[in-house]
Amino acid sequence: MAPESEVQVAEALGQRTHPATGLIQGALWAVAGVAATASSIGSRDVIWSALAVPLGLVLGMGVGFLQWGFTRYVIDGTELRITSGVLSKNSRRIPYERLQSVDITEPLVARVFGLAELRIEMAGGDKSRTSLKFLKLSDAQELRSLLLLRAHGEDPQSLDALDHTGTVLAAVPSERIAIGTLLSLDFLFAVIGAVALVVIGVWFDRFLAILGGLIPTAFWLVQIVSKRVVAQWGFTLTRTSRGLRIERGLLSRTSQTVPFDRVQGIAVEEPFVWRFFGWMRLEVDVAGYAAQDDEGGESISTLLPISDPRLALQVIDELIPGNAFNTEPLAYAPRRSAWFAPVGWRYRALAVNDASLLTRAGWIQHTRNIVPHQKTQSVAISQGPLQRWLGLATLDVHTPKGPVDAEARNFYAAVVRREAFAQLDRAHAARQRTPVIPHDSETNTPLGGPR
Amino acid sequence: MDDLFNPPAGAWQRVSPQLASVRRIVIVATAVVGAFAGAALLLLLDVPKPYVIGLVVGVAVAAAWGWTWAGSNQRSWGYVENDDSLVVTSGVMFKRLVAVPYGRMQFVDVSAGPIDRAFGIATVTLHTASTETAADIPGLRAAEATRLRNRLTELGESHGAGV
Repeated sequence: MAPESEVQVAEALGQRTHPATGLIQGALWAVAGVAATASSIGSRDVIWSALAVPLGLVLGMGVGFLQWGFTRYVIDGTELRITSGVLSKNSRRIPYERLQSVDITEPLVARVFGLAELRIEMAGGDKSRTSLKFLKLSDAQELRSLLLLRAHGEDPQSLDALDHTGTVLAAVPSERIAIGTLLSLDFLFAVIGAVALVVIGVWFDRFLAILGGLIPTAFWLVQIVSKRVVAQWGFTLTRTSRGLRIERGLLSRTSQTVPFDRVQGIAVEEPFVWRFFGWMRLEVDVAGYAAQDDEGGESISTLLPISDPRLALQVIDELIPGNAFNTEPLAYAPRRSAWFAPVGWRYRALAVNDASLLTRAGWIQHTRNIVPHQKTQSVAISQGPLQRWLGLATLDVHTPKGPVDAEARNFYAAVVRREAFAQLDRAHAARQRTPVIPHDSETNTPLGGPR
Repeated sequence: MDDLFNPPAGAWQRVSPQLASVRRIVIVATAVVGAFAGAALLLLLDVPKPYVIGLVVGVAVAAAWGWTWAGSNQRSWGYVENDDSLVVTSGVMFKRLVAVPYGRMQFVDVSAGPIDRAFGIATVTLHTASTETAADIPGLRAAEATRLRNRLTELGESHGAGV
C-alpha cells in the first residue's frame, strides 16, 4: 500500500460505502426479525418466524441497497461530510476539531464479509453519533487514522507514519473474563434465584406457576453473560500515539480509541468476590460516551473488564499521570455518619494529590473515583436537616455523565467546605498548567456564539 | 456549621422578591382550580359533604404552606461572582452550594415564562459538560439576568478551556 494511494482514496470526492452494504443490512434485518418472533414461540407464530427470514432479508436488502445508493461521504481539508437519504436528503458536516472519538465496530454479519462500521462521536446531545456503514475493514481503519490525525490538527501527509499497531498494554485472557463474571454477585444471585425457583417448582409440583419468574431470571442471566463475557471477549488494550485503543467482542468486534486528553475520570471497582483475588475493573468517563451507552446497551465505558492491581495502576497512570490512587486519604467519613450508613461509612474517604482527586466508597463493592483536577466541571456542597444537626455535609465533584461519581458523603462540614474551595483552586491551577491547545476546543463552543 | 454556606468572598447577591410573588400566584391559582375541580367532582359523585370540606381545607393548608415556602425559598437564593467561578446557593431545609468555574461553562441560558415576564424576572441557567452541575438562578430582574448572561459569556471566553 503506497502512501499516495491512501491519501488519494481518502481525499477523493464523493466516496461510496461498500456495495455489499445492502446485502448485510438485509441479513441484519432477517436476524432481527427472527429474534423478534423467536421470543414468542407459540405454535401459531411458527409461520411468522419462518416468513421473517426471507421477508426481512428482501425488505432489508431493498431498503439497504437504496440507502447505499444515496449515501456519499466526502473528506476535505476541514471536515467530513456525509450525505444520505432516499426521500428526504440529509447532509451532515463533521468539523474535525469537534471529533471526540472514532470507533470501528464489526457486527457479526458484516464481519463475515470483512466489513466494518465507522462510528464518529462528537460531544453533545442525542444525535452526536454519526455512523458510516459499511466499509472494508482496512478502509475503515485508514479512515479512522486519518480522522484522528485531522482531529489533532495534523496534515495527512504523515499518513505513512501512522502506526496502526501501537504497543499492547494488556490482553485480558478470555477465560478470566468468564470466571470473573461467574464470580460476580449479580450473576450468583441470578443463578441462585433460578435454582431456587426450579426447586420450589419441583417441590410443590407447580412448574407452570414459577415460569413467570424463571423467564425473566433467564433473560437476566443471558444479558449478564452477553454484556460481560461475549462483548468483552478477547479484550485487548493497546497504547497508540493518540490514546488507548480497546478491542473486544466474540461475535461482533468493536475497536474504540480513548484519546489521552479526553478522559474525564476513572472509576476503579472491586466487586465483593473479586476482592479475595485482588481483581479490579476499570471504567472510564469520556464526554459523549454516556449518551451512547444508553442506546447501545453495551458497557462501552469499560477500560479493563478484569485485571490485577499492578496492570490496573499502570493503565490509570497512562491516562492520569501522577494520580492519587495510592495517596493516603486526607479525610475519612466520621463515626457519627454511621447514622446514615451503618456499615458503609467506614469505607468512605477522600484523597487529593497534585494531579487528581480520589474518593472511596462502597461496602459490598469498593469503588474509587479518580478525577484529574483540570477536568473538574463544578463543585457542590449540600446539607440536609439531619446532616446539619450532626455537623456533616456532602461534597460533590461533578464530571460528565458516566460511571464516575466523585462524592464525599457525610463528611465533617468544615472539611467539606475547605476541600470544596481548595478543589476549585486546584482545578484552576491545573488548567493554567495545561495550556489550551486551539484544536482541543471540542465542545467548548464560544459562549453565546452559534451552535 | 454556620459558615458552611457563607459566600467565599463578599456577600450573597439576593434574587428579586418578585420570585416569591410569581410562585405564590402559581400556587394559589393551582390550589383554587384544584379545590374547585376536586370539590365539583366529589359532589357529582355524591361523596358526603364532610369529605368535600376536608378536601378544600387540605388544599387550603397546603397552599398556605406553599405561600410561606415561596417566601423563605426566595430569601435562600444567593449568588456571588468570584474571580474565577460563579457560586450559587439555595435551599432552606436542604441547602446546596455549587461553584462553577467560568472556564468550564459550555453555555448560558436565560429563560422567562409569561408570569415571570409580567413581573420582570428571569432564570439564568449555567451548563457545563456535567449534567450534575444544575446551576440555575431563578428570580433575577430581567436587566440583571441579561447583564449576568453577558458577563458570564465574556468570562467564559477569556477563561475558556477544552472539555
